[in-house]
Amino acid sequence: MSSLTFAYLAEPVLKGVDFALQKGAIGLLGPNGSGKTTLLRCLLGQVPLGRGHVEVLGWDMATRARAARAGLGWMPERGGVIPGMSGVGLVAYMGELSGLPSRDAMQRAHEVLHYVGLADERYRSCQDYSQGMKQRLKLAQALVHDPEWLFLDEPTSGLDPRGRVSVLELIRDLAWNKGLGVILSTHLLADVEAVCHEILVLRAGELLARQAVDGHTRQARQVFEVEGFGNEESFIAGLRDLGCEFEQDGRLLLVTLDLSRMPEARRETGFDATAGVTAILEVAAARDYALRRLRRRPVSLAEEFYRMVEA
Amino acid sequence: MPVYERGYTHWQPSGRRARPAWLVIARRGIVEPLRRRWLFLLILAAWVPAIFKGGIIYAKLKAGNILDLMGGGWTSIEPEGFLRFLEGQRFFVFVLLAITGAGLIATDRRENGMSLYFSRPLGLVDYIGGKALTVVFFYCLVTLLPVCALCVFAYLISPGAVGAELLLGTPLRALVYCLLAGTSTSLVLLAFSSLGTRSIFVMVWWTLLVTGTDAVGGIAEGLLHKGGIQVVNFLGQYHNAASLLFASPRRLAGVSPWVSLAVVTAWTALALWVLRRRIRPVEVVS
Repeated sequence: MSSLTFAYLAEPVLKGVDFALQKGAIGLLGPNGSGKTTLLRCLLGQVPLGRGHVEVLGWDMATRARAARAGLGWMPERGGVIPGMSGVGLVAYMGELSGLPSRDAMQRAHEVLHYVGLADERYRSCQDYSQGMKQRLKLAQALVHDPEWLFLDEPTSGLDPRGRVSVLELIRDLAWNKGLGVILSTHLLADVEAVCHEILVLRAGELLARQAVDGHTRQARQVFEVEGFGNEESFIAGLRDLGCEFEQDGRLLLVTLDLSRMPEARRETGFDATAGVTAILEVAAARDYALRRLRRRPVSLAEEFYRMVEA
Repeated sequence: MPVYERGYTHWQPSGRRARPAWLVIARRGIVEPLRRRWLFLLILAAWVPAIFKGGIIYAKLKAGNILDLMGGGWTSIEPEGFLRFLEGQRFFVFVLLAITGAGLIATDRRENGMSLYFSRPLGLVDYIGGKALTVVFFYCLVTLLPVCALCVFAYLISPGAVGAELLLGTPLRALVYCLLAGTSTSLVLLAFSSLGTRSIFVMVWWTLLVTGTDAVGGIAEGLLHKGGIQVVNFLGQYHNAASLLFASPRRLAGVSPWVSLAVVTAWTALALWVLRRRIRPVEVVS
């Protein structure tokens, strides 16, 4: 996707979005209204593209979207369960619409419904399904034609904790063990942490960041919790020389260290926090400050996400 | 390996031929309503006039022209007689289409089904074509099929002189008429269906269009004594235009069949325009 710009009724929704993805589990994060669903719809060729170029599975989505869709599975957030059909009927129907022969579609429908855990409920009318079953059914219809990529829009929306875990397990299995590419659009950061290895962060239609899910642990700015006794003023002055920032959290001193100033901390995949630990230990030893506690404060994906979005 | 022992497996193509998407959509649209028993009863009821006409044709051919007094033009085995039969099926066409066609697009819109359809390798033409074929099927089930059955029946019991017209001419006229009128009617009904999300509202609009325009045309004609006002009569235009095809002298008062043909074409074009605008995978809310 290059320089994609898209607008609904002259209201810009995506602004110059630019990325290329390899198969894997990709999390699409962003606050409500940031353009996540629209981005997925552009990837599906469901909306007329504005400026820019979108290519999926080697097909230009402006002209050959239908051909590309044969290799894509889509699980919408809202609705998507056609009433009056049984679970297996709906999934087989969607399989046939995806280009599967009738008998193959029915066979695949049984297989994928078993895979998502709806084998016993497959002949029931899908109108009577619970929310969790409907989500599984939507996942099954997205899988029936064995797509190369799955686009999932809020797949755990409305599920109880148990249902959520089991759906996430299925998605993780598909992405990590079955070789399917998955784009998971959600605002639930825990879902992304559980499934994805890479995230795209959207804000107000712009691609704000793209990084590995554990990338925040290798970032330049690291926070350390420090507690000790001795000449604290001298210790703080020494750390200030390193360019640290300080914040008091009860008895703890929170030291924010910018590792980008330390060439020895730079690694190919990011920054190594052990270099920061060594630097702080050296300052403490030099300034006669006995450390009782020194620990890098873990930064959750949520903290990192909010920092990025609110920046 | 049994299904219950498998996890997710990749699909291995079997080499069988897949149906085109429009046919898959049409097949589902036809099969689903036929599961309702009462719809079967309605279709059977729609065949009662054909059975009655068949009986009269039999009696007429066997008992001579005495029975002309009984049925008049309606019992005729000339094309005119079959056109009148098709006109007589108007009520069943109206009811059956309302039941089977009103929810075809409205339900998809209500349940976000469009998003599912258009995430598959199909286009607008496949979608509309499949839905329209569903309606045309039910249309033909109570119009074209009885006419063809009656023609064959009349041919079997009639002297050979009328055979060519009965076996070829009339069924062909009926086929052309039913396909054109059925397609046009189905597109108009689908356009209504695409405007709403509830079948019941679509049925109300459909009823207003069919019976309302008929009533308005009749009342206005009675009050103003102007035949041309019948141009507002929706289904009347189809039968009026068909008088060209069936070489029938019976026409709507003051409305040329060519005008009716133009009106029907305009309705169809309007319906296509509405469908093109309304059928989208994404709802755009201003």
